[in-house]
Amino acid sequence: MKVHATREGPALRIALRGCGAIDSVNASAVKAESLRLIGEATDVIVDLSGVEFIDSAGVGVLVGLFKSLRMRGGRARFCGLTPGVRAVIEIIRLDRIFEIDDDAASAASA
Amino acid sequence: MSRIRFDRSEEPREGTIPDLAELCRIHEIGLDLIGRSHDVDDLLDRILDEYESRLQDLPSDALDARTGRAAPESMRKLRALVMFAAQATALKEKAVAAAELKRRAAMLEEGNVKLVAALEEAERMRAHLDGVLAGLSSGVMILDGAGSLVKANAAARALAGAGEDTALATLIAHGVPRDGEAEIDLPTRGGGRRTLLVARRAMSGPRASEVVMVTDVTQRNRAVEERVRLEKLAEVLKTLSVLSHKINNPLTALLGRAQILQAHRSSDPAVAKAAAVIEEASQRIAELIRELARVVREGRHDALDDLLDMLPPGTAGDER
Repeated sequence: MKVHATREGPALRIALRGCGAIDSVNASAVKAESLRLIGEATDVIVDLSGVEFIDSAGVGVLVGLFKSLRMRGGRARFCGLTPGVRAVIEIIRLDRIFEIDDDAASAASA
Repeated sequence: MSRIRFDRSEEPREGTIPDLAELCRIHEIGLDLIGRSHDVDDLLDRILDEYESRLQDLPSDALDARTGRAAPESMRKLRALVMFAAQATALKEKAVAAAELKRRAAMLEEGNVKLVAALEEAERMRAHLDGVLAGLSSGVMILDGAGSLVKANAAARALAGAGEDTALATLIAHGVPRDGEAEIDLPTRGGGRRTLLVARRAMSGPRASEVVMVTDVTQRNRAVEERVRLEKLAEVLKTLSVLSHKINNPLTALLGRAQILQAHRSSDPAVAKAAAVIEEASQRIAELIRELARVVREGRHDALDDLLDMLPPGTAGDER
């Protein structure tokens, strides 16, 4: 899984691409790379359109990113949820905790 | 999972959200994790901590819909996580709503404080205005949009007469144009007349109301009338002065000729009598002219009527 960082308006967009899964195999690496790219940014859009599968460790990565931004007074938004990822997020009600948008453009204007 | 166990002997701390304490009991969440969750942000932090902890403890197969063969222990933990998530998110939304209510209540309270302050300021201004109105010697009345009396100061009530300020307001509303001026004649208790100068002006503000200034101009009008009368009289006296001067010259000649005729003692008695009549009449005219000159000189217009009475029949004296 590769992590790409681009600008989306005033926000930093983190796109997760590659094997299509965030699971116990790559969760630690994805989290570490994401935090490295985020650096000191406080407005981050996490684009999950390239993620087809996510397990508990992957969800833990998303919670970790969300917490990390909150702790520094920042904001993390998630977009591009595929059906599989959305189903997992909704099962454990994180859709009522996270800020979720359809795509990066919508997230940037939110 | 490094969860701190809930000690059932521990009671929620002062200010802790009650439902959160219940949530902790159900899901064995240590109260020391959420003990300071007195606001939404802190609560969300605690919930995220718990999510993170439970996700770490959740086997990978629990969320793998692809296999559909999660172990019973994985399913038990997933059910516990889902139940926690349901209640935690409900609690979070409740806390958000409560925080919003609190924020709005604070805004209302702030607005209420400002409103009370504004009302007190308005009351002070009203009292100040009442004091100013009471101190004015001119009558001031406030009319509403329908022309009904709202307020009248003491001077206005005095001008209207006891208990008649409402009637005066009605008279003004119907008799004086808006944003205009007019004089109103009113009978006085003593049987005389009183003239009031009334000026209506629209007041700025959301309500359609007017301020009416009422001034008693009876004395002023009389003074003006008297001044006009005196000015006219002065013109009359000036004219008389000129006339007396112009009459005096031919009169002197007439009187002199009459005296010559009498000195020569005409043999004709009719001529002698005529000369005597001419002289007498001329003397009377001369006397009248001197009196006129004296009146004009002294400005005694009160004597003018007496003087005019001295004029022979058929003169200006009968034409007054």
